[in-house]
Amino acid sequence: MAEKSNNESKEQELVGLLAQFDDPETLVHACNEARAAGYTKMDAYSPFPVHGIDPAIGIKRSILPFIVLSVALGAVVLGLGIQLYANGQDTFWPFPGYKFLISGKPIFSIPANIPVTFEIIVLSSAFATFFGMWILNKLPRFSNPLHRVSRFKRVTNDKFFLMLETADEKFSRSVSEGQLNDWGAVAIDEVNQDLTDTELPKWLATVGILGAIMLMLPPAAIFSQWGMTNRLPRLHVVPDMDWQHKSKTQTMAANLSNELDGVSLMYEDLRSARRPVDGAIAFGSLDIDSELSYGIKSDFAYTITSGGNALTRAEDTDKADKKEEKEEKDGDAVAPAEEDNLEKYVTTLPEGFQLTEEILDRGQQRFEIYCAACHGYAGAGNGLVNQRAMSLAATGAATWTSARSLHEADVKDDAKNPVGRIYDTITNGRGNMGPYKAQIPVQDRWAIVAYVKALQETGIQSDVPVAADDDAEENQEQNQEADEKQEL
Amino acid sequence: MTTVDPQSLDNTYDDASQRTPLVLGGLDYEGVTDTACGFWEADSAPKIWWILLGLAISLLMLLGGLIQHLLFAGVGVWGNNNPAYWGWPIVNFVFWVGIGHAGTLISAILFLFRQNWRTSINRAAEAMTIFAVVCAGTFPGIHIGRVWVFYWLFPIPTEHLAMWPNFRSPLLWDVFAVSTYATVSLLFWYMGMVPDIATFRDRTKSKIGKIIYGLLSLGWTGSARNWHRYEIAYTLLAALATPLVLSVHTIVSFDFAVSQVPGWHTTIFPPYFVAGAIFSGFAMVVTLLVPARELFGLQKLITLRHLENMNKIIMATGLMVGTAYGIEFFIAWYSGVPWEAFAFWNRAFGNYWWAYWIMVSCNVMIPQLFWFKWCRTTPWFMVIVCIFVNIGMWFERFVITITSLCRDFVPSSWAYFTPTWVDLGMLIGSFGLFFTLFLLFCRFMPVIAMAEVKGIMPRDDH
Repeated sequence: MAEKSNNESKEQELVGLLAQFDDPETLVHACNEARAAGYTKMDAYSPFPVHGIDPAIGIKRSILPFIVLSVALGAVVLGLGIQLYANGQDTFWPFPGYKFLISGKPIFSIPANIPVTFEIIVLSSAFATFFGMWILNKLPRFSNPLHRVSRFKRVTNDKFFLMLETADEKFSRSVSEGQLNDWGAVAIDEVNQDLTDTELPKWLATVGILGAIMLMLPPAAIFSQWGMTNRLPRLHVVPDMDWQHKSKTQTMAANLSNELDGVSLMYEDLRSARRPVDGAIAFGSLDIDSELSYGIKSDFAYTITSGGNALTRAEDTDKADKKEEKEEKDGDAVAPAEEDNLEKYVTTLPEGFQLTEEILDRGQQRFEIYCAACHGYAGAGNGLVNQRAMSLAATGAATWTSARSLHEADVKDDAKNPVGRIYDTITNGRGNMGPYKAQIPVQDRWAIVAYVKALQETGIQSDVPVAADDDAEENQEQNQEADEKQEL
Repeated sequence: MTTVDPQSLDNTYDDASQRTPLVLGGLDYEGVTDTACGFWEADSAPKIWWILLGLAISLLMLLGGLIQHLLFAGVGVWGNNNPAYWGWPIVNFVFWVGIGHAGTLISAILFLFRQNWRTSINRAAEAMTIFAVVCAGTFPGIHIGRVWVFYWLFPIPTEHLAMWPNFRSPLLWDVFAVSTYATVSLLFWYMGMVPDIATFRDRTKSKIGKIIYGLLSLGWTGSARNWHRYEIAYTLLAALATPLVLSVHTIVSFDFAVSQVPGWHTTIFPPYFVAGAIFSGFAMVVTLLVPARELFGLQKLITLRHLENMNKIIMATGLMVGTAYGIEFFIAWYSGVPWEAFAFWNRAFGNYWWAYWIMVSCNVMIPQLFWFKWCRTTPWFMVIVCIFVNIGMWFERFVITITSLCRDFVPSSWAYFTPTWVDLGMLIGSFGLFFTLFLLFCRFMPVIAMAEVKGIMPRDDH
């Protein structure tokens, strides 16, 4: 045997005799004979599973199906458990689940959870079958003395083999060889275990342990951060979507600002969001009553329902917006410059606004919040902001156009300054004064207009309340009550 | 010895007095091994193989380039619009995953039914399954938009978001179904291949081959004790894969059927999808194996009878699919729901009428040719029919996905879907991925399940 002579210098141990047969029938016959002769430690080798070989060499039925069954039953619990954990609770530390509320359906219901459970059962069972089979077969086994027998290479092609192992009580080198020949063996080989290369190299254990420790270091480092204090943000192992390549509200995102060439990422003026299309109406801001919403007679209205095409109307609004912007840029432009058409303003309080004493009180309260800072509590144009700004302007440290006194003749004049125009001033601003439509709701704006008219009627220009005036005190008390109500 | 002449390669005639041989040309065990290994053992592959591989790899590179373009530019490079959010990626996904059903069906269901003729074709069909599932998995993978957080598809705890997938969503069921199917098919395929890889290990002459095939064959010896557990494991896997293969396309159909969209919300979808999957899968197996058996000299193992049997299955499943098309229309009328009726009327006569009629002609009319024996036993002709079937089945998924989405609930959101060149390139490129894998498999892996073929050969009585 070539194999044997090659390895003569090494220490060897005979593990069995390998007999070759040419067809499966002879193999089964030989197995039956061997079993009858009392051999128990033997194995047959064939290119394909040979029928009838299991009883011939006494193979007991494998326990593999029961392993798979138990894994499958476990997978039922596992499958339902994963889903119950992930979707059925939101309390367990450190990874709480998430309860999805969808169309009022139950948080956890068996029918909806069957498909995933089924797949997990099949997957687990397939793993159990696959790995269970290899483990029971003691494979993979890369060092096998059988592979040293050159004739054995044909076991995966067309030849059949029977090996009688030396570990068997009945085994005897000469007797067994004779028996195999009797049973129809075409050739017989010795199978020798090479004892010199069966041990693992000694350095392997050390390297293995060191390697395992090295692998533990990164997770240990990450985990240790959880309990440590640090001025820097914690190490982010899985970034998920915490840093995104996107613009955020009201900001130019840092990661976009160095890509200003790629203007395609931006809308006009480097906005991150597109402006609404012309004619779009924000939810809740449909303004069909021009007199109420704008203080402008319906004949001159900007509202979309006051006739014509919504889009052309929107263009008008746009033009007005642009004009306004231009004025803001001009800064010190004086209001009367654009007094083109006083006719369009309503001259009486609109129908949609009901004036009562309480509303007037609220108008006073709103006035003192929003207007008094510049115009003064009595409307004399001497609010604290105005006083301070004027003193700065006097030294040249600032430019400022004084807030107007509401008691000036021009302002008081119903013809030159009808209520609609006062309302429009509050809404869209005038000259230096900014627009208040975003801060003050429509009804409150009208309440302020009413209060301004009342203030003008009184002619009182002093902020200091007159001590003897009981009404004023009463008013103040009422105001406080109104304030409290408002706060509530 | 036999009335069917083993030297002639025609075994499509039945002789009641004997079993029809499935291995022709008088091959013995060694002959089977030599034939099956012939292409692998050849020192150099034929020129046609290199040409095909070059073509496939260039298409694969097209796919790779387009995926990169998609990742950098975003999903806007596709024709997907509002309301056709799913577009071609999902059409391609369902197409490929459907093709991926024939392999496991041949391996598992025909195994359980003891259909011996499966043995010559099951390996190639299983390989086709794996590669088709790879193509299928690619499309929803890139369709999720933010590909870099693909792991959110799976129930993995996140570092600081209390975030989990919704287990009541069919799309999540799909993730589990397709990934389970891919895994189990891979295990089944690999396990079936181990004895044949051991043959390669014992026959290879190259050093690298010895190492690679040696590792892959896990030290297989063909021991009777090993075969015993191996056969039990194989039966168990077949028994597991059978409900699995039916469940996968059922769950894919749930992606559609569980939603409310008219044209999707139907209970017929699961069986209809499964029949369609088997239909398209077998058509792809025939399309691949007819040229492969010529190229690799496997006519004695993959015989005309194998091909004829597959064509019969194609015809049967084609009729099932055709019946489903008819039933859909019947139910649309019988339900009395005007929206349902509109959805189907629109499919056949709406603005996608051409897609619908391509589907019907390719899937229902053309396979009827297989009633004629000449048609189902003439290799070049059956390939043409099967290519039509594949075209038809792609259009079936197109019709279901696109026509329903483009005519959804509110007429104001209706739209027409137009694919972009990226859509088209990705569909073609996915064939490149598929054929690259398949051609490499044919050259370096056992295409024929040699051990199984030997197991069903009639034994000679000396």
